[in-house]
Amino acid sequence: MSPAIQQPPRDELRGSPFCFPPPVFSHPPRDVRKGWSQCGNGFGLAELVPPVELVPPVELVPPAWFARIFASVLLLLGTTGSSASAADAPLDFNVHILPVLTKAGCNAGACHGAATGQGGFKLSLLGYAPDLDHASITRELGARRIDLAHPADSLLLRKATRQIDHEGDRRFRSDSAEALLLREWISRGAPRGRADLVVTGLVVHPRILGPVASKEPQAITVIAQLSDGSTTVATDLALYTSNDDSIADVDRRGRVRLHGPGATAIMIRFGGAVGSVRVGYPFPGKPDETAFARFKPRNFIDEALLRRLREMNVPPSAGASATEFLRRVHLDLTGRLPSPEAIAAFASHGDQPDRRDAVIDRLLASPEFTDLWTQRLADLLLLSGKRGSEKASRTYHQWLHAQVATNAPWNRIARELLTAEGPVDEVGPASFALLANDPRDFAEQVGSIFLAARIGCARCHAHPADRWTRTDYHQFAAFFARIRRDGGRIDTAPRGEVEDPHTGRPLAPRPLGERIALGPAADRRQALAEWVVSADNPLFGRAFVNRVWKHLMGRGLVEPVDDLRPTNPATHPELLDALAHDFASNGFDLRRLVGSIVRSAAYQRSARPLPGNATDDRLYSHALLKLPDGRVLLDMIAQATGVPEEFPDQPGVERAVQLIGAQSPSMALDILGRCARETSCETSTVAGGGLAQALHLVNGATINRRLGQGHLARWLLENPSNDELITRLYLHSLSRPPQPEELIEWRTRLTSGDARSAVAEDLLWALLNSREFTFNH
Amino acid sequence: MPLHSLRCDGFNRREFLQLGCVGSLGLSLAGLLRLQAQSASPAALPRGRARSCILVWLDGGPSHIDTFDPKPDAPVEVRSPFQSIPTSIAGVHLCEHLPRTAKQMRHVALIRSLTHELGNHDTGTRFLLTGHRPTPALDHPSLGSLVAWNGRASGNVLPPYIAIPGDGVGGQSSAARAGFLPGAYNAFNAGRDPGRVPDLQLPEGISFSRSDRRREMLARLDRFAGLPETDPSVRNRDAFYDQAYRLIASSEARDAFSLDTEPARTREAYGAGRLGTGCLLARRLVEAGSRFVTVVDHGWDTHQQIARELPDSRFAGSGKLPSLDRAYSALLTDLHERGLLESTLVVLMGEFGRTPKINAIGGRDHWPRAGFVALAGGGVQGGRVIGATNSFGESPIDRPVSPQDLAFTLLTLLGVNPATEISTPTGRPVRILSEGAFIREVV
Repeated sequence: MSPAIQQPPRDELRGSPFCFPPPVFSHPPRDVRKGWSQCGNGFGLAELVPPVELVPPVELVPPAWFARIFASVLLLLGTTGSSASAADAPLDFNVHILPVLTKAGCNAGACHGAATGQGGFKLSLLGYAPDLDHASITRELGARRIDLAHPADSLLLRKATRQIDHEGDRRFRSDSAEALLLREWISRGAPRGRADLVVTGLVVHPRILGPVASKEPQAITVIAQLSDGSTTVATDLALYTSNDDSIADVDRRGRVRLHGPGATAIMIRFGGAVGSVRVGYPFPGKPDETAFARFKPRNFIDEALLRRLREMNVPPSAGASATEFLRRVHLDLTGRLPSPEAIAAFASHGDQPDRRDAVIDRLLASPEFTDLWTQRLADLLLLSGKRGSEKASRTYHQWLHAQVATNAPWNRIARELLTAEGPVDEVGPASFALLANDPRDFAEQVGSIFLAARIGCARCHAHPADRWTRTDYHQFAAFFARIRRDGGRIDTAPRGEVEDPHTGRPLAPRPLGERIALGPAADRRQALAEWVVSADNPLFGRAFVNRVWKHLMGRGLVEPVDDLRPTNPATHPELLDALAHDFASNGFDLRRLVGSIVRSAAYQRSARPLPGNATDDRLYSHALLKLPDGRVLLDMIAQATGVPEEFPDQPGVERAVQLIGAQSPSMALDILGRCARETSCETSTVAGGGLAQALHLVNGATINRRLGQGHLARWLLENPSNDELITRLYLHSLSRPPQPEELIEWRTRLTSGDARSAVAEDLLWALLNSREFTFNH
Repeated sequence: MPLHSLRCDGFNRREFLQLGCVGSLGLSLAGLLRLQAQSASPAALPRGRARSCILVWLDGGPSHIDTFDPKPDAPVEVRSPFQSIPTSIAGVHLCEHLPRTAKQMRHVALIRSLTHELGNHDTGTRFLLTGHRPTPALDHPSLGSLVAWNGRASGNVLPPYIAIPGDGVGGQSSAARAGFLPGAYNAFNAGRDPGRVPDLQLPEGISFSRSDRRREMLARLDRFAGLPETDPSVRNRDAFYDQAYRLIASSEARDAFSLDTEPARTREAYGAGRLGTGCLLARRLVEAGSRFVTVVDHGWDTHQQIARELPDSRFAGSGKLPSLDRAYSALLTDLHERGLLESTLVVLMGEFGRTPKINAIGGRDHWPRAGFVALAGGGVQGGRVIGATNSFGESPIDRPVSPQDLAFTLLTLLGVNPATEISTPTGRPVRILSEGAFIREVV
């Protein structure tokens, strides 16, 4: 799946950043897989880079562009404040002045960015409203904040440099680049500049940093692309943060120091645009070639993971045994333990990759797969009986179940949810519109569910860590302004607007990150659905594959899984892209996606760590232990003991994963944990777990009342041999036969004085409480 | 993201650390020792006298103007719909619906100048309960988890950190969790009904010796399985089982969870609702040795109809204020009468205050710039007010107190040194608090 990449001649490039083949500057690329380059730091760290994000080669640069950069640099260096080239460079408030204030923290929430300002001076939080900010600086207080005749005496400068008392202390020195830039701007009359000029993107160089021999910090260069097609150097004015200070830290000027092994990223923000630089510091020591040689990639997933393991010098663990694989894949795909018959059948045919594939295919086609993944989608969609009627949620659940059963493409499911109309008692997906009444609240739900975008911050101000502005937010919300939810029906209302919070004027609907607003004639929800599910929407597919990946692999490529944004990069960005691309170009097929992940050698690795990878929790060097959801755990206990859980008043529900809503009374589920489907369960942990769960599993009814019934009671009547009894208990709970030493241990106990049934019950109790049972390993 | 980490009053943390930037972790040993000495020299700080803490958490953000910081002279769009009444501190007034609390103010150090900038529930709560601005890089432990961690060697049977009831901030929200500390320092969730905590007794017909046998068989199975012992989720689970068994084995511990022996008069004094029952249970748990008990009272996110919702809600007297007044004052009185107040720090707060201006539907919205905290017991000098907001209750005009200062103070009073370094699971050393200073006025 990964694009064919020519390997660069490594030796010649050792120790210096490179891109190979030389990048092509195309904008915008239609097919993002074409024209990719492999860029690296010359130390074995490399990644694929799409053409649009690359610095254009110098010969393609228009002369004006170059002169502009040159001028800005000179200006920032403060060397030639009066030279002709600097004087020619235009100064736009939006892209030259506001970033200075943001970088210095003037418009932070604790300072003048507060809702009421500070000391009578108010700026918009992080500069989301440049017009207001320009007015506050140049016109308020009788325009005393700036002194056009004597720029250096401007209140703005004297406060910020603390030449006069300033509660916020000194933000920069009076001889700093910031002060010089502000002074130059004021001396030109403090112009507003082009109000429509905005930063559209950042070009960051280098893209990857690794350890270098020199003790000097490594410099990042940031070039901002502007909406008029020009660019400007933003290295000194951008804001830098390291995602993990212990691996790398970065100073105010974008200079990075690496401290120790690990992978992280440096996040860069400027004028509302964001960029990042990956940092990879391999673990020291000779690579464990035996471990690497054992890892045979089966598909593009394995190739991407292996590449990263190699880069970071973290050896992969061995493969999972046949029984480990069977148990894991059954639990992940169906929420059921493999039956003893299935275990025996698999053992009798020998453990071969194609046999494993056959098991995967069978599970993908099973009705239990549909049950479990319907539950997972219902959690995502917050399908709850609390909204609408009981009948409506049943209809909704039936519809969703049918979509999963028939393997409906995720884009079609999303489109129907976003556009369905009619009586909610009869039209399942129509209930989705009941998630919220207010268009803004509803937009936030849509953003979270389909795009994994947390847009809520932008309701009041520009999102501090993402791209969304307040206008983006409200124009997005405008798509949902015309939904009528009267009399148990969802319809399109003829009227309804979302107003600009500043001007009170109705806003035209506009998709997140797009420039063109919707025309007045179009149906708002239809248009929105088209945009959400279109192949060009980078978030739709990634959001979904990342969630599925987490269910199966134990950790999202992006965490938290509902927070995709440029400042929260994936551990394996190119793998996330490849998965999303594969998903989109194969009909948004859930089963195909699940199948390709669980067929990978990475999924089928052992959970047992090697000395060299025990601390790794994000490179997938060994399988991560997963704690089954409380509902799956309850089903596992019922299945292992042969005593089903009763769900009174829930006709047709035999297992907890089949429950429709989240409110059906069940003390066991309250304690073991379930998603209440009121707010997203993805970041706030679900109720249950912890000490209360331990107490319940030890003392509570869920296990204890089952010990004397079901399978065990029946077996005791049959009076099998001790070995036979132990083997059955093991197969039903741990999904494997006992080891010889285990047989010896329990055999002795079962023949000792105590009543045989009591010992057998205690063994079953211990099996159900054991680590091996409660984890999906 | 640390975008917000720039503070008006000086350096942000990164710059602060860079002042001593020599060593490979950005901070030289000498620099570190100096920092520790500055923030924790024995002479400079009071010795923690509080053995335990009861945190009454007003979830949603209580309106400061309608409770502990009335502004009777403000214009009508700001002023509370309630009258204000005098208290046992001369010249200090509270809202008229807190008459019992007003009498207890001699025990209370009331901070009226709590201020921060995180105006949504999740981030604001996390800020106050951890003393750190939330950041995706590191999940900081909550104060309760830190207190539990600090007392880890004490060997007490009761869970050191308990949340009542089980839903909301005290139990599951990441704000009140152990963060990067092991899961054993999460709060024990006392279930939905503080009057009946489930699964503390062995199942019927199972003797202690048989329970021991089961446990021993379980240990053997876990050894056979050979799952990675170092895995954090395995260690979490094991810690919970250990805790569960300690609890099951102790009849005193189990009795602490039962309200049956409390006289009817006491139960009535606290009030019969969840908050009253929760506060009474908290007192019993603290008495029995628990170190940090959070009692969560939901419903303070009063975006509308404050005039009705706070005092009356469903029927007259059924609102948030009367039940808080009853429970909080009964808790202080009861602890005082039992001689427990000196060793028990009682903290009353929520994630932020509310907008000075009453909105179009008679409510107030989120307002992190000004809020209150009431501290009592545990070595706190009562009968005083610390800090003040301006005449509209918009922002502090005297002695602003940051969440870091508050966390620093609470931890210090509880005997936890905020300069202590803890190693995260990845081996990164992290100071408990990187900012903040002791609020000297409280002692």
